[in-house]
Amino acid sequence: MSYTGRLFHWKNPYDTEGTNDLFLVAVRENCAFGYARNASYRAILDAKGFSPDDLREYEDIARLPFLPTLLFKRHELYSVPPRRMLIKATSSGTGGRFSRIGFTCGDLLNGAPMVWKVVRRRRLFSPVPCHYVVFGYRPHRDNHTAVTKTAFGATLFTPSLGRTYALEYKNGQYVPDLEGVAAAIQKYAKSRFPLRFMGFPSYTYFAMKLLDERGIHLTLPKHSKIMLGGGWKQFYREAVDKEEFYALAKKVFAVDDSDIVEFYGAVEHPILYCDCPRHHFHVPVYSRVIIRDVNTLEPLPHGQVGLVNLISPMVRATPILSVMTDDLGVLHDGRTCGCGIASPYLEIIGRVGLKDIKTCAAGAAELLANAGSVR
Amino acid sequence: MILANGTIYPSSEQSALLDGLKEFINATRMGEPLSVDTVIGAIDTLGRRMAAGEFDDLLRQFGVESLFSLGEQVRGSVRLLSREYLEYKVTTELGRDFFLPRDTRPMLGLSGVKTVPPPLGVLFHISVGNVDFLPAYTVVEGLLTGNINLLKLPQADNGLTLLALKTLVEIEPRLADFIYVFDTPSDDIAAMKKMAELADGIVVWGGDAAIRAARSLAAPGAKLIEWGHRLSFAYLSGNWRGQPEELTALADHLIRTEQLLCSSCQTIYIDTDSMEEMYDFCRIFLPYLQAARNGRPITEIGAAAGMTLKDYNDELEMILSGNSSVGENRAFRGRNCGLFAREDSELELSELYGRCLVKRLPRDRMMTVLRRQKGYLQTAGLLCDAEDDAILSERLLRCGVNRVTSLGHMSDHFAGESHDGEYSLRRYVRMANVEMRG
Repeated sequence: MSYTGRLFHWKNPYDTEGTNDLFLVAVRENCAFGYARNASYRAILDAKGFSPDDLREYEDIARLPFLPTLLFKRHELYSVPPRRMLIKATSSGTGGRFSRIGFTCGDLLNGAPMVWKVVRRRRLFSPVPCHYVVFGYRPHRDNHTAVTKTAFGATLFTPSLGRTYALEYKNGQYVPDLEGVAAAIQKYAKSRFPLRFMGFPSYTYFAMKLLDERGIHLTLPKHSKIMLGGGWKQFYREAVDKEEFYALAKKVFAVDDSDIVEFYGAVEHPILYCDCPRHHFHVPVYSRVIIRDVNTLEPLPHGQVGLVNLISPMVRATPILSVMTDDLGVLHDGRTCGCGIASPYLEIIGRVGLKDIKTCAAGAAELLANAGSVR
Repeated sequence: MILANGTIYPSSEQSALLDGLKEFINATRMGEPLSVDTVIGAIDTLGRRMAAGEFDDLLRQFGVESLFSLGEQVRGSVRLLSREYLEYKVTTELGRDFFLPRDTRPMLGLSGVKTVPPPLGVLFHISVGNVDFLPAYTVVEGLLTGNINLLKLPQADNGLTLLALKTLVEIEPRLADFIYVFDTPSDDIAAMKKMAELADGIVVWGGDAAIRAARSLAAPGAKLIEWGHRLSFAYLSGNWRGQPEELTALADHLIRTEQLLCSSCQTIYIDTDSMEEMYDFCRIFLPYLQAARNGRPITEIGAAAGMTLKDYNDELEMILSGNSSVGENRAFRGRNCGLFAREDSELELSELYGRCLVKRLPRDRMMTVLRRQKGYLQTAGLLCDAEDDAILSERLLRCGVNRVTSLGHMSDHFAGESHDGEYSLRRYVRMANVEMRG
């Protein structure tokens, strides 16, 4: 088994301390693969004066050149021939452009034990059938977004009694149908079987608001859950305080915050981050996070805000070994959480961008508006 | 919120207020006219209270410290609001004793004519939020010329304007019937139309989109006064190498304004045909720019991160393109600043935030190139040998530039300056003639 394979089969998904050595060799293995087979990746490493052999100590991972997610939006950077790629997934393309990331069969196989371990730890697998309301896109052959695939994947955690989607595909485009969703929720609330939500926090929040404004307050069947994923995307400005979200879920659905689970991930870093019972995103063994200074890109210590650099050897087909997101975040010492997981946890606090900049130079407002949505 | 006749109303009252406004305004127009002294007195008092620090806490709450510090903003504003400045402005723009009627004896035609300068009447200001004090300032210009002012606040307005104008009315209650402020959203076309119908002149600030929208609102009889967004540039000729103070001043200007203002330099032109001289300039100037940036880091973390990420991404793009496909274009990157040498000569918006374009523009081609941006030209910062100064200034003006300054003063305000080539107050008054009979 490859080093990466061993890493993804590691028993405790949050034993980052215990896997540092293995993580290093898996990164080196992946880096050497990309370097040998991907001319673009090699050109970048060469220009940066870095060779896979430079990965000697664990700390050397910080020196590995990282690729911004923006680069995958402009280039198809594959390390294997197209026929070897089982699927190609894209980011959701907020702002018009999306990343194209290919996966080989082996890449995807790495994901299976990861999902199993992370999801099981949060007790999301169950033999009891559930109704699903997906606050996301109904899968369609023209929709390659990772967020659609993962939202669908989450409806496989239990047997499904049916899926209702907030975004239906009609006449070649997706249209939101919050009314349909609201009706489905009220119907399923009367069922004996649990109801599970999965999808964008924004749409989930809008639906809860809608019901609350109409004075509809339900008690969902026991073991119902709210799963959230896909981030706030274009609704970032409306991102609500988590506490407010939990309070509303309690009020509208009688769902406790212990039954609310949030996922974080990106197509350029397809690692399943799942929050702990205290709603923190602890770094799993498959991934490492380096927060970098917004001016110098040098790594920052825990507790300081910077750009979020994500590293994982999971995928070989595309050089997403070390990617720089356009998120701003902080890494906290895991022990301060108190949930029992020792690995550090990642808090996303915003996005890079130039919002609310005042300008009167001709054309500048348009330029800045576009720069603010590079994701 | 809405400010009308000195009282604050909730936004929901908009429709009712607008319906009654016509009669009210007509009554005001038949009443006592507003004298320039009354207005100046009130504004001067506001400025004094501001200088005394009375509004510091509020201003801080409104977050005006974005580009310039509170101290800088207050100092700047207080100067703009002083009696001295305003009187100088009025005299420069309109001439001495402008508001006094004048008897003239034309050499032809009528035997005696009285010339009086009534205000335009009602001004409808559509303001954008690109400068904190701008919405209030445009109303002040309307007041100085005796107009009744309807102001549509920019969407991004944070309440500062309403507070400033409310305070002004408290200082001088006679202004109450001359100031109406609405927080109408830009997509409430019906309300905007109503305001436009009440107005004799529509004063619009903003980008091309805002100007176009205002044009669509205006009836053919309404006067349009447009203050659009502009582009500015620096022009370096002759022995620029021997002028380190000037280069320091230019670097400071680029970083201090973050290239966000109409008067901010977007492209640095070198009076040469030589690519080498242009590269040379970039090499020499970059350390100046870096020093200025080091002294004034980008404080907004999201903006800093965005810029850093963009630079890093551009660097990788360059590597992927094999450094070749970009022709003679070259990037000279610093940390959170940079110079981008380009083969062409077009005047263009830069990438802002201390990332400036550098191009060649031999003086003989100035007219051809700059005319392509006619209507957008504002300030040219000029550095040249003394014997060329008069010639180059003159040429720049002929090309359509409205301000020629030294490199460090491109964005400086001064009393009595023209605004995009015009004295704004003149646009807000009429010149009327009354025949003297009997």
